[in-house]
Amino acid sequence: MKILACVKQVLDSESVFRIREDSDWIETEGDPRYGMNHPDEFVVEEAVALKEAHREVTVDVLTVGPHSASQVLERAVGMGADRAYHILTREEGYLAPFTVSSWIAGFAETRNYDLILCGIMAEDDMQGQVGPMLAEHLGYPCATSVVRETCRPETETIRVEREIEGGRRELLEIALPAVLTLQTGINRPRYPSLSNLLRAKKEKPELLDPARFPMPEDREQFLRAALPPAVRRGVVLEGDTEQKARELHGILKEMAFL
Amino acid sequence: MKKTRDAVVIIAEAQGDETAPITLELLALAREIQLAQPCKIRFLMVGHGTEATARDLARRTGREVVAVEAETLRDYNTETCLEILQEHLPGLSPRFVLMGQTPRGMDLAPRLAVRLGAGCITGVDALCVEEGELRFSRTAFGGKISLQMAPARSITVVTATPGAFTAPQESVSSQGTVRLVSSARRSARSRTLGIIEAPRQERGLSEADVIVAAGRGIGTRENLALIERLASVFPRSAVAASRPLCDQGWMDYPRQVGLTGATVSPKLYFACGISGAVQHAVGMQGSGFIVAVSRDPHAAIFRIADVCVVDDLEAFIPAFLALCREE
Repeated sequence: MKILACVKQVLDSESVFRIREDSDWIETEGDPRYGMNHPDEFVVEEAVALKEAHREVTVDVLTVGPHSASQVLERAVGMGADRAYHILTREEGYLAPFTVSSWIAGFAETRNYDLILCGIMAEDDMQGQVGPMLAEHLGYPCATSVVRETCRPETETIRVEREIEGGRRELLEIALPAVLTLQTGINRPRYPSLSNLLRAKKEKPELLDPARFPMPEDREQFLRAALPPAVRRGVVLEGDTEQKARELHGILKEMAFL
Repeated sequence: MKKTRDAVVIIAEAQGDETAPITLELLALAREIQLAQPCKIRFLMVGHGTEATARDLARRTGREVVAVEAETLRDYNTETCLEILQEHLPGLSPRFVLMGQTPRGMDLAPRLAVRLGAGCITGVDALCVEEGELRFSRTAFGGKISLQMAPARSITVVTATPGAFTAPQESVSSQGTVRLVSSARRSARSRTLGIIEAPRQERGLSEADVIVAAGRGIGTRENLALIERLASVFPRSAVAASRPLCDQGWMDYPRQVGLTGATVSPKLYFACGISGAVQHAVGMQGSGFIVAVSRDPHAAIFRIADVCVVDDLEAFIPAFLALCREE
């Protein structure tokens, strides 16, 4: 069985950034930290766990991103993925999900994967579109928000539980090959092992030029990034910790919460 | 005859025999679109036993409802639903197809967009009009910024964040119309085996006057004790968490607030180390009064909070607790 795990590099959620002057994207301040998109850690773990549970499973890991994104491939190989592929884009910035999913489909269509795993969404642009669109490009069935899977390679099916409203779950049996997007919490992602990390350092990812895939026309237009409006005009408490605590205590007392 | 694409088609969701709240919220978005660019508004409902809900929807909105009755959807199945939507949508000449940013909408929208050759804009929480052109806003980076998107194709599939638009309170003069059609399509690639019911909801959350909630920003598991102590100073209080904490196993899922957990509206919501990403915010933004404590001055939670405290939790909470003890 061949598995493809799709991962993305994102800016760490606590890094400081602002909107670029041309409003085209964001720019970071100070010492930005980048890492693997949190939901994608579960993707790599699930793929590696499947490899351990079944015979003759290979796990490829793929990212689309700038040079620095190779760090997430290194981490994935460190966790136990076999081979890494990197569709190298020029710089940070907005990339339409339709474009990204078309490139991944172009990569995957000749490689005959049985199972393709993606995260439920990227923490940066939060669109949640690449996985399901990829399924359409390849003509595969798809389930999103998966919280449990049981793969049955012998019958070429996979059973999945996907999360629906109010904590309920839909139980599905899907024919392979298929695309799943995994909800966070489906497993406990492992730390990379030293021996795998050393292998990751030695075996560089295979670089792929996006120009080898068709560049689709935009299906929707990204205009600009902006600050969202405040919903409530909240009071920002001033002073040191003691003063702020005293002020909040006063407010909550006055409102009879205390 | 050439058909012009002149309709906003809302994909309706049902809750039992009634219209799901998100469907009426989508009507609000559709009407905003209609104000800027005159068009028809239609509902399309796909499922099994749709007639009662379709009639309820037509009566409540006075609009045209097309219900596709499918025996094959006795158990809901995305692949089958997609095939039916693909079959019936083009006949309704949609310029926009609206769905909720719900587990079902998120599952369907990107795939439907590819099948229709349409654009796809997910997680929309506002619409504005610039010189007659529609601009959809959607949040990104945990709610810290919003991305402005414009349609670029003759059809655009849009999903709206639950709670972002307010269901219109309109007096309806027309009875509306219901058109029932049937479909026998069934996907061969996916089979629904059943629904697993949710674990018992944490009753404490819905009954509490005060909810103290912890997020990834609390740092260590040991700090949960601080959150518990903070909750204990408020009468009728409960402790909750955002999803990442439950994923880490620090708290049980029934205590999770947000899109995939509980929706709460206590009198006071005290958010500790919560970034305020939309997935969490939709579960608590109806709270009476919101206090947020976070080290990150740019956290999105501060946009919905009434009182914002930028500070380290490990310092702030003990200082606050000391004041409570003084009394």
